[in-house]
Amino acid sequence: MSENPETTDGATTTSAAEVVVEAEAPPEEVTAELAEDMHIATGTREPILVSSGVTMQFGGLRALNDVNLSLHEGEIIGLIGPNGAGKTTFFNCLTGLYTPTSGQVVLRGKPMPQDPARVTEAGVARTFQNIRLFPSMTATENVLVGRHVRMKQGPISSLLHGPRFRRSEAEAAERAEKLLAFVGLTRFSEELARNLPYGDQRRLEIARALATDPSVLLLDEPTAGMNAQETEATRQLIFAIRDLGVSVVVIEHDTKFIFTLCDRVLVLVQGELLVEGSPDEVRGDPRVVEAYLGAPPEEVSAQLQTGGAVDGAGTAEGKSE
Amino acid sequence: MTATATPETPATPAPAPRHTGRFARLLDAAAPRSTVLMIVGGVLTLVGGYLPWATFVLNEGPYPEKATLNFFVDPFGVTGFRLHLVILGLAAIVVAALRRIPARHRIVRGLGIGATVVALINGLWITVEGGGLGAITASEGSIAFGSIAALLGGLVTVLGASAGGLERKPVWTWKLPWWAEWILLVVLFVIVLLLVAAVLTSGGQGGVVNPYAGVVFLSLLAALGGAFAALNASGLLTWVSVVSERHRTFSVIVLLIVALLLPLTSAGTEYWMTVASNIGVYAATAIGLNIVVGLAGLLDLGYVAFLGIGAFVAANLSGAAASHIGIHLPFVLVMIISSVVAGMFGAIVGSPTLRVRGDYLAIVTLAFGEIFVRSAQNNIGGLTGGANAIPNIPAMGVGDFKFSDSIVIGSLRLPSGVLYYFLIVLLVAAVMLVFAHLKYSRLGRAWIAIREDEDAASAMGIRTGPIKILAFLIGAMLAGLAGAFFAHKTAVVAYDSFRFLESVTLLAAVILGGMGTIPGAVLGASILFVLPEKLREFSDYRLLLFGLALVLIMRFRPQGIVPDRHRKAELTDPDVEDVAKEGPGPLPTRVEP
Repeated sequence: MSENPETTDGATTTSAAEVVVEAEAPPEEVTAELAEDMHIATGTREPILVSSGVTMQFGGLRALNDVNLSLHEGEIIGLIGPNGAGKTTFFNCLTGLYTPTSGQVVLRGKPMPQDPARVTEAGVARTFQNIRLFPSMTATENVLVGRHVRMKQGPISSLLHGPRFRRSEAEAAERAEKLLAFVGLTRFSEELARNLPYGDQRRLEIARALATDPSVLLLDEPTAGMNAQETEATRQLIFAIRDLGVSVVVIEHDTKFIFTLCDRVLVLVQGELLVEGSPDEVRGDPRVVEAYLGAPPEEVSAQLQTGGAVDGAGTAEGKSE
Repeated sequence: MTATATPETPATPAPAPRHTGRFARLLDAAAPRSTVLMIVGGVLTLVGGYLPWATFVLNEGPYPEKATLNFFVDPFGVTGFRLHLVILGLAAIVVAALRRIPARHRIVRGLGIGATVVALINGLWITVEGGGLGAITASEGSIAFGSIAALLGGLVTVLGASAGGLERKPVWTWKLPWWAEWILLVVLFVIVLLLVAAVLTSGGQGGVVNPYAGVVFLSLLAALGGAFAALNASGLLTWVSVVSERHRTFSVIVLLIVALLLPLTSAGTEYWMTVASNIGVYAATAIGLNIVVGLAGLLDLGYVAFLGIGAFVAANLSGAAASHIGIHLPFVLVMIISSVVAGMFGAIVGSPTLRVRGDYLAIVTLAFGEIFVRSAQNNIGGLTGGANAIPNIPAMGVGDFKFSDSIVIGSLRLPSGVLYYFLIVLLVAAVMLVFAHLKYSRLGRAWIAIREDEDAASAMGIRTGPIKILAFLIGAMLAGLAGAFFAHKTAVVAYDSFRFLESVTLLAAVILGGMGTIPGAVLGASILFVLPEKLREFSDYRLLLFGLALVLIMRFRPQGIVPDRHRKAELTDPDVEDVAKEGPGPLPTRVEP
């Protein structure tokens, strides 16, 4: 956990340190090389991604109501909330899958395009809640698809396979190799994506998203279904991604994971932004406990205070709605 | 020779395996005597091959004059399918007896299946042609004994082999010096050429004169299939494909040369050159369709319309008397124009279909195919000739020299039509090159990504709209190119060559051969367009047979004859094929959170 000197003021509390789980972080030299290749950090102090007043209406259902968010370079923001709070809907609004009913999203001062492909081109990449790899392609090919948007081959050059084509293929292959090393999947590079173990599929999805050279990475439940060790490895991976200069927004149910990972946490409840602040502030906020658990029984509240995992689904019977 | 034979699965005597499934009891009972059963089956197959039934209908003449026991007169005089049965039977006996051969049971099973199918085809033929089911009864004498004996032999062989437990396919890692491997590849490709020629010409031209064409052809196909299965089981085919992969460029060049040598074999007559050229046309079209369906995953049920557009454009620009345009351009220009026009139509059809997926896309393309056929039938704009077609399209040529002429070089006389054959071979090779280059490029990966998961693809920055149109456009251009050739070769272009049925057959060729692969499309097109040629007498049942073949293929090999991607995995994991055979589709390894 030493790789993150700036993991925020005291967020790494005792409870996280107690459960020591061995997990490998990406090798430093790979991270350094990748950071150089990707060239993402610009050193700006302005927020790079700003959503203001994003509202999403599906028929009579207001899935999002006036959600504001500003993401700074090199920041990791956590997005938590009970199931159905609108977290994934918000991601879809950010990435152009949905057009917000009102409000707007601005990336580096420009309005976000309303088309997933152009959003990716502009520098926002995402992973999916239920893994959506290309199952019949190898791990390397999956990452190469991620390079699509940064490669300059047209149909003619694809047809001729000339020297420029070969150079761009070689570059893409080299980058794919580095990215697979970065997420620790080198041994699976020629394996079909559908044959990978579950946790590795999630890592491959992250590698594929990183291949698009994003300045903002949106991770939708990156540790769902993972054990403690895999979760810890993912945490290290996200820190390393931040070190590449990529700003990250994470949706997660595992609050311990979020509180030890993020610089800032947003709590979304029934489409509204309930609380925003540092992990400590959010953790101590009685409204958060109430949103998750309904009436706050003392012991659960205490457990939440110490950073125990609270799953929205697992506590459904305690919820008021 | 630095041969190092290291089969990864050593030939251990298989412990009596416990079988599961419907035939478990039978197989368990047969397990201890598996070797004996295999040998008995082989002997029965041999006997079947030597019984005189085999002579009576297919090779020697009508029953009963020639249905003699000429086995005694001419002990080794076996030809045709009798020869195949004898070879399959002998091979089964030898392999079964040699316990040190790895994957022995699997090899013998392949041989047994081959013998069974050969016997079945011929037995059925006898019952159909030789007086119905009655021909099998004892009163008809010895005629059907052979087929029954061989059928029994084949089944017993398969039983014994399956009971003995099927081993993993062995992996061979021999590495010969490069010149030895080159020679080996050349020899193998020449053998393939001879086999192709034999298959193509087997049974002769079908039709009223020669009602045996179909069955002789099918029988040879079955025998070759059995031999192929056995070779595949031995792991040697995989090894050869690894070797040819090692010398990729060399293999491709040799293959091209070998293909150009076909006119020098027994297939070197005008008739077979025409058949081969037609296969080439459909193979090129199928590869184009493979881009749309196999790579980009866009189901196109009206694809043959692009072949038709190419053909009609070529017909109109080549100075045919019936054409209203009345200009005669050089054929190279005509081919380019046809291809471009077809491509434009491809893009036009592609654009409105961008918003529909899956079934809806299929319906839209189906409608386009129908619109094309109806328009052509009604002689739209006077361009298609309607029911009169556009006849007398001049042959391609340079000056006075026509492509349809025969060539005489010294004492070597090549049949007429041979130049068309050369041209279509080069055309197919070019189309293959286009396909392969596109498949392994940014564009090809984008197509495959769209096929696998369109939403994820667009989240990766792929602009799915233009990329899909490009698939339609390139696929249509390739079909248009083939269509222009088709117009010149057949000299007549009529609307009814481009009906819905042709689209379906093309699609079947792609699916049958294996989606997304070149050999698959070529093989599929060859099978589906040679079969009708051979099975003229079955033409009424053509669709029935197609349907049957498709159902069987989808049941036993859902990924097609030449599967995509699995091949790579197959080289490293010999069991992948069995996994695929267990059930349709891949096992879900994904856990939904």
